[in-house]
Amino acid sequence: MSQSLRRAESLGAHLPPLLVAAERVAATVAGGVHGRRRVGQGDSFWQYRPFYPGDPATRIDWRVSARSDRTYLRETEWEAAQTVCLWRDSGPAMRWRSAGAPDAKADRAGLILLALAALLLRSGERVRLLAQQGRAVSGKAGLERLAESLDRLPDDADGLPPQAEIPRHASVVLIGDFLSPLAGIQARIAALAATPASGTLLQVLDPAEAVLPYEGRVRFEGVGRSDTALIPRVESVRGAYAERLAAQQHGLAAICTAVGWSFAVHRTDHPPESALLSLYTSLMPEPRRR
Amino acid sequence: MIFAAPWVLLALAALPLLWWLLRVTPPAPRRESFPAVRLLLGLTSVAETPARTPWWLLLLRMLAAGLVIVGIARPLLDAGPGLPGSGPVLLVIDDGWASAADWARRMQAADAVLDRAERDSRPVALLTTALPEDGGPIRATATLPVSDLRPLVAALRPKPWPVDRAAAARALAGAAGSAVYLADGLSDGPAYADFARALAAHGPLTDLRAPVAGAMLLLPPRAEADALVLRVAHPVREFDETAAVLAQSGDGRTLTRVAITLPAGSAIAEVPLRLPMELRNRLATLRLEGQGSAGSVILLDEQWRRRPVGIAAGDAASAQTPLTGQAFYLKRALEPYTEVREGELDALLARDVSVLVLADRVVPDGPERDKLAAWVEHGGLLVRFAGPEVAGHPDGLLPVKLLEGDRQLGGAMSWGQPATLAPFPPGSPFAGLTVPADVRVTQQVLAEPGTHLAGQTWAKLSDGTPLVTASARGAGRIVLFHVTANADWSDLPLSGLFVDMLRRLVALSAGVAGESASAAALSPAATLDGFGALVPPPSAATPIAPGEFAAALPGPRHPPGLYGPENGRRALNLGGHAPLPEATLPLAGAVQESLADSVPEQPIGPWLIALALALLAADLLLSLRLRGLLRPAGAALLALALLAAPARAQETEQNPALLTRLAFVVTGDEQMDSVSRMGLAGLSEYVNRRTAAQLGDPAPVTPGTDDLSFYPLLYWPVSADAQPLSGAAVAALNQFMSHGGVILIDTRGGGSGEGFAPGAAEALPELTRGLAIPPLAPLTPQHVLARAFYLLQDFPGRYTGDTVWVGRDQDRANDSVSPVIIGAHDWAAAWAVDANGRNPFATIPGGARQRVMAYRFGVNLVMYALTGNYKGDQVHVPSLLERLGQ
Repeated sequence: MSQSLRRAESLGAHLPPLLVAAERVAATVAGGVHGRRRVGQGDSFWQYRPFYPGDPATRIDWRVSARSDRTYLRETEWEAAQTVCLWRDSGPAMRWRSAGAPDAKADRAGLILLALAALLLRSGERVRLLAQQGRAVSGKAGLERLAESLDRLPDDADGLPPQAEIPRHASVVLIGDFLSPLAGIQARIAALAATPASGTLLQVLDPAEAVLPYEGRVRFEGVGRSDTALIPRVESVRGAYAERLAAQQHGLAAICTAVGWSFAVHRTDHPPESALLSLYTSLMPEPRRR
Repeated sequence: MIFAAPWVLLALAALPLLWWLLRVTPPAPRRESFPAVRLLLGLTSVAETPARTPWWLLLLRMLAAGLVIVGIARPLLDAGPGLPGSGPVLLVIDDGWASAADWARRMQAADAVLDRAERDSRPVALLTTALPEDGGPIRATATLPVSDLRPLVAALRPKPWPVDRAAAARALAGAAGSAVYLADGLSDGPAYADFARALAAHGPLTDLRAPVAGAMLLLPPRAEADALVLRVAHPVREFDETAAVLAQSGDGRTLTRVAITLPAGSAIAEVPLRLPMELRNRLATLRLEGQGSAGSVILLDEQWRRRPVGIAAGDAASAQTPLTGQAFYLKRALEPYTEVREGELDALLARDVSVLVLADRVVPDGPERDKLAAWVEHGGLLVRFAGPEVAGHPDGLLPVKLLEGDRQLGGAMSWGQPATLAPFPPGSPFAGLTVPADVRVTQQVLAEPGTHLAGQTWAKLSDGTPLVTASARGAGRIVLFHVTANADWSDLPLSGLFVDMLRRLVALSAGVAGESASAAALSPAATLDGFGALVPPPSAATPIAPGEFAAALPGPRHPPGLYGPENGRRALNLGGHAPLPEATLPLAGAVQESLADSVPEQPIGPWLIALALALLAADLLLSLRLRGLLRPAGAALLALALLAAPARAQETEQNPALLTRLAFVVTGDEQMDSVSRMGLAGLSEYVNRRTAAQLGDPAPVTPGTDDLSFYPLLYWPVSADAQPLSGAAVAALNQFMSHGGVILIDTRGGGSGEGFAPGAAEALPELTRGLAIPPLAPLTPQHVLARAFYLLQDFPGRYTGDTVWVGRDQDRANDSVSPVIIGAHDWAAAWAVDANGRNPFATIPGGARQRVMAYRFGVNLVMYALTGNYKGDQVHVPSLLERLGQ
């Protein structure tokens, strides 16, 4: 576990600390070291401003005021943390790995999840797992606790995010292969988005799932379910399969767009940094929200 | 190659059908697990082209099927041709003693004959030509199917007696049919012609025999004065051959080995076996090496060892007087190695004596003399010493006619000088004994000159007058010493020569068997089996009456072996009773086959089927691979596992640097090298068991060729005909010695083994020329070598009593460690352990203690070679302790 932790931390080391866009901060405010670039409660110095009548006299910075004729108040930067809920699919299908793939999908998803968590924790956000007993962690030590609880998480049999209570206005990051029927996925995401919560969906695919590289007469057997499909010549159905996969991804993208979430696809034979970067950009506050 | 079931090959015609079937059946699909199978579920409707099995896989399967069919057809390699004739076959097997030497091959040939008969479904009857062990008559078995006869043939054993041709011919008479004769190649008596006729009359005949009859019969040895003449009878042949006779003691250990050349064109080869008297008395068995038949063993009973000597003196009253009595010197000379009896002539003759010594005792005419003459005629050895009585009244029992009176040589009234002894003439039993220069003869009786006198003279004086004369009487001999048995007439009784002469005379005599006073029948105690091993007697063996023993013929009722009670064993040997081996010609009119060519037929069907199974296993692996169930890595691992075994075998190659090992110098004499190897192996094992040193198997080395630097100790046996060392070998040995190596040089013939390796000690200086051997000193119990591990007082090997030489202790070079140890005790033979874990060589003079001491010397030697003068300080411990105490 410590090895995967190290790998996850080194993965995010190249990115600056991630500042999660918090649109509706008031409801979820919680003390944190994460400055909001505006005046508010916090420990870090923000600015001196002249004393206006009505300000409490206790806030006067006497030392600065003594240097001049005017009286100044010392203002601190508002520091608050956003809660980010993370989830990755850990079903049997996720643990499958084709012959040419470097990692199983679950391993890759866990890696990306921890790297993202490390980034978030570095910037002082509160991170929790999307689970029934998810507890938000913060600070550098929180990453280990998170990794431990990630390992202890029970398998998701259906490959869908659980219906867990999450704080309102939290951010949600869901990582999985999302190959199950679209209706089930839509129901869960709609429930999460109604909390309300913003979010991102990352589909992790094995390269074999992406391109169907098999040839000849093959009997395909489902992982974790009993479906089988006997394909006489796999090379002849490759196009049809690609169409079906594209339709699934379009459906996922449509579900996400409908609730204002973003959607990305990652293949395990691609470097995990690309997936992390896409998650990073989707979580970062857009300039208009600043 | 032929097929025992050729009709099975018809099934090969079905192979094309199999080909078609295999082509039609598509291969099983590969199985892949795939999470996104949901996306594939509807996609099966695409047009399916039939999948085909690859052609090479088809070929593999066809090959496997073809191999199975051919294998079931029972192909046979080396199958002999069918037997001639038709109907039942009579298998005649010679199973006398002469078949034992190559019995395994005979059984193989018999098996091959049974195979051939079985192939033609012909029943077989069995006739063995030696009398069966149960004492029944020779009779052919009933005609049986081969499967029923096989156990009977497998149970056959060679018999320790000759075949009975006459009885076999009688058993053959009357029957008819084809026959196979598995011959031992010997006639075995005059009835062979009848037997051959009966065989020829029987029907179509196949004659199966070895190209050269190899049976050898060891005959009872002949006792001569200084040697036992071993005699080997063998069929006459056109080329020389060599054999070896092992002289063994009662516990089966070899005392010595005598090589014998069987000359071409002669039927009996002889070689003298020279053994010291002590060893000759330990001799229990003579055995032809490598023959393994009852005829190759001669058991020696008491007759060969026990030679009681009776002494009767003329003047019985003064005979025992020390230093002057007539019998005194005789008794002192004979007692150490023979059983001496004294008494009156009557009493002596009543008991068994081999040698009768009469010291100046005249035997007057009368019944006593007749009795004595009869005893001599029957093989007794009468030794007489002259004296005043004999000189005065010569009787008839003398080898030569004596002149009246005696002759004085030297003395106050004579001009002549006391005479010395001349060297013994070559034909004399005393030949080879050295004559001491200080023996003087002052008085003697003279023989009447005659033409035969020179031939009867065994020893004479320097002036040519006889000193010892002898003549044969019947089976016995009369020997006369022309001097007295005391020091009155000569110095001879005072010298060591007297003892040696008496020893040789006693050795010349015929032995007597044990006390056969009781008339009880001699029951068999241990008998020889067909292979020449002593085993408990079979149930059919019956006792022999003592009187009939000499005439008893070896047979089922009296198998060769030892008979009689513990204290009076008599040996019944095949040699001397069985007809001499005489080769026979192949039977005329018979199909000739050679025993050497008769190899058992080899069915290769099982191998073909095994190969087919291997191919099918490969097919299974390939099918799994095609279905994607077997990874290439797994297949590679399997292949690697198959290849790993030979790779491991190469790793065990011996590297001399990895293990401490003793080494011996290869002499080129196979016998000597094998003794060296066995000896060092035995010593290594002893050292490993008793000490912390761990030694590996001994290594044979050739100085100059092999690198000697790995070995702490080099054992170097020296023989008389050893070749001088090459320059490279001398350099290598000098290098070895100068760098701390120890060489044990063994001339193998000193001390009690005097005479076993004549000339070796003389060859040593020539052999070691050029070696940097330091000044030597005798090995004493104070030397470090005597206390390197055990505290030793003497250093015996197989022999003991000779001086062992080591480098002088003061020599400070090489830390006072002597680079060379020279001795003659044949240590390797004492240490030797054979494959059965036994010590094959008897120690001389013998005893378990001598062997233990030999091993202890070996341990000390190894410790000395490994630790150098480490224990040298221990020598000073007592004095150091003494000083500390003060």
